[in-house]
Amino acid sequence: MAGSVRIRNLHKSFAGQEVLHGIDLDFAAGSVTVILGPSGSGKSTLLRCINHLESPDAGYVEVGDEIVGYRRDGHRLRERSPREVARQRSRIGMVFQQFNLFGHQTAAQNIMEGQLASGVPSDQARKRASELLARVGLAGRENAYPSALSGGQQQRVAIARALATDPDLILFDEPTSALDPELVGEVLAVIRDLADSGITLVIVTHEIGFAREVADKVIFVDHGRVVESGSPAAVLDHTENDRARTFLSAVL
Amino acid sequence: MPLLTAATPSVRRREVAAPADDLGQAALVGRRRPLQWVVAIAGVVVLAMLVNTLLTNPRFEWQVVGDYLFSNAILRGLVLTLWLTAAVMVSGYLLGIAVAALRLSDNAVLRSVSFGFVWFVRSVPPLVQLLFWFELASLYPRLSLGIPFGPEFVSVQTAHLLSAVAAAYVALTIDVAAFASEIIRGGILSVDRGQTEAADSLGLSRARTFRRVVLPQAMPAIIPASGNLLIGMLKATSLVSVIAVQDLLGATELIYNDNFKVIPLLIVATLWYLLLTSLLSVLQFGLERRFSRGTRRADRPSLPAVWRSNLPVFPHRRPRAGR
Ligand SMILES: Nc1ncnc2c1ncn2[C@@H]1O[C@H](COP(=O)(O)OP(=O)(O)O)[C@@H](O)[C@H]1O
Ligand SMILES: [Mg+2]
Repeated sequence: MAGSVRIRNLHKSFAGQEVLHGIDLDFAAGSVTVILGPSGSGKSTLLRCINHLESPDAGYVEVGDEIVGYRRDGHRLRERSPREVARQRSRIGMVFQQFNLFGHQTAAQNIMEGQLASGVPSDQARKRASELLARVGLAGRENAYPSALSGGQQQRVAIARALATDPDLILFDEPTSALDPELVGEVLAVIRDLADSGITLVIVTHEIGFAREVADKVIFVDHGRVVESGSPAAVLDHTENDRARTFLSAVL
Repeated sequence: MPLLTAATPSVRRREVAAPADDLGQAALVGRRRPLQWVVAIAGVVVLAMLVNTLLTNPRFEWQVVGDYLFSNAILRGLVLTLWLTAAVMVSGYLLGIAVAALRLSDNAVLRSVSFGFVWFVRSVPPLVQLLFWFELASLYPRLSLGIPFGPEFVSVQTAHLLSAVAAAYVALTIDVAAFASEIIRGGILSVDRGQTEAADSLGLSRARTFRRVVLPQAMPAIIPASGNLLIGMLKATSLVSVIAVQDLLGATELIYNDNFKVIPLLIVATLWYLLLTSLLSVLQFGLERRFSRGTRRADRPSLPAVWRSNLPVFPHRRPRAGR
């Protein structure tokens, strides 16, 4: 299924320090998964392995029916060319904590960039950019530069940019953590609207209320391991895991 | 407000005699700047003295300057200086981008090649490089391409390979490439990594990411240093006069060796270099404005506004020049 995610035996080290110790996870196509965990537990690294911004040291990530960044070669997995990885990534959107909008481009140009790269004609890309801006509540802001937008507005443009290439899967890495509290709601509202769109969503966030409301599945990561996984009620309200309990009581 | 009412009437200035309640409507005016006037007048005096000596000292021989400023030999030299500079900068930057790309690649061999190239070229004075390429013929009378110690495929006589101008072009191009690659590398490193990752996450190819996302944002860091390099190279092309190429300086030398009017002819060359450098500075200013789109510096004042604001004697709101 396009948009389903399968992670097996995922290991990742930085400078000899193992950060992910063998992750196994499955996300159904069209599902919403929220990943929780203390700072430094490896949540960002896990997300970045899914679209191959980091390459794993062992194990693999499969999105749809393709292994990301590698292809089967007999009993081995052989690295794909940068061009193939780029093609795979255009089906996987990503929204960053720090937005990472292209600072030299307007909102519309940001949203057009990925489309132009995959060969969409520019007038069509522009039209789609306007539609997407309207969808995230920013109709008419096509020509605004990121520096002229609030954090919440920038993050909504970033979400529109991630949507522009029609991805099967979107990864959110703490999309509201860099925002002033009063701006969190507008971004969460936009993500909530995507929950039933058929796009698979994987969201790292500390917004527990939001997780309870939209998640099909909640995962708790600690020290590079998945220590809890289940329905929001099971993980948020009835966890047996001590670390998860401590963490939840701290963020609630 | 309390401060004003507390002041005794005798020390109160006449200007603030308006009732305290009306201060909210008071016109806001700039600070008085008496020192600025003093400096401006001193500057005018020094300038007048300079103009005076330039005009009254007969040894400057302005008549001769006038005679040669637009003479054919000088203009031919000027044209050579211009196109040699342009050619060297274009090919030097193309090569420089490649060298910078090698230096930033994942491939350790390519990184070392790039590092070695920059190390060597920056270590050898450009004049030496120029003479080396010019004297290539005496070092290698024949150049051949083939398997080392094995058969040769092609071979050429170097005596006819590089003329003086071609030697200058090759030597200066290599020099520019080494310096440009470091300028470009610095610019690329100044762009936040998040920008590359965002481009990757959209599925942009590496080349496209560089061209559409990284390079435009590296430009503000690249342009000022490149302006330096360009203006430096405009003047460095005068090195070629040592291998008898008739550039702007070479042309003036040829004339004053003949008529011994050294100072006036050097003034001719200086005036042309001044003019060219001024034009290039304006070009650089325009480019910097162009590439500051989307940054907080984008609303920087235009060049005339900067100049007006730097005329100190007219009190007005001053757009700040520079940063
Ligand atoms: N590029 C990197 N180089 C070295 N260490 C890294 C790098 N990225 C992450 N780490 C380390 O990996 C661990 C997990 O980081 P991260 O995935 O960012 O955690 P989280 O997102 O859960 O806060 C941390 O100890 C962090 O210091
Ligand atoms: Mg993180």
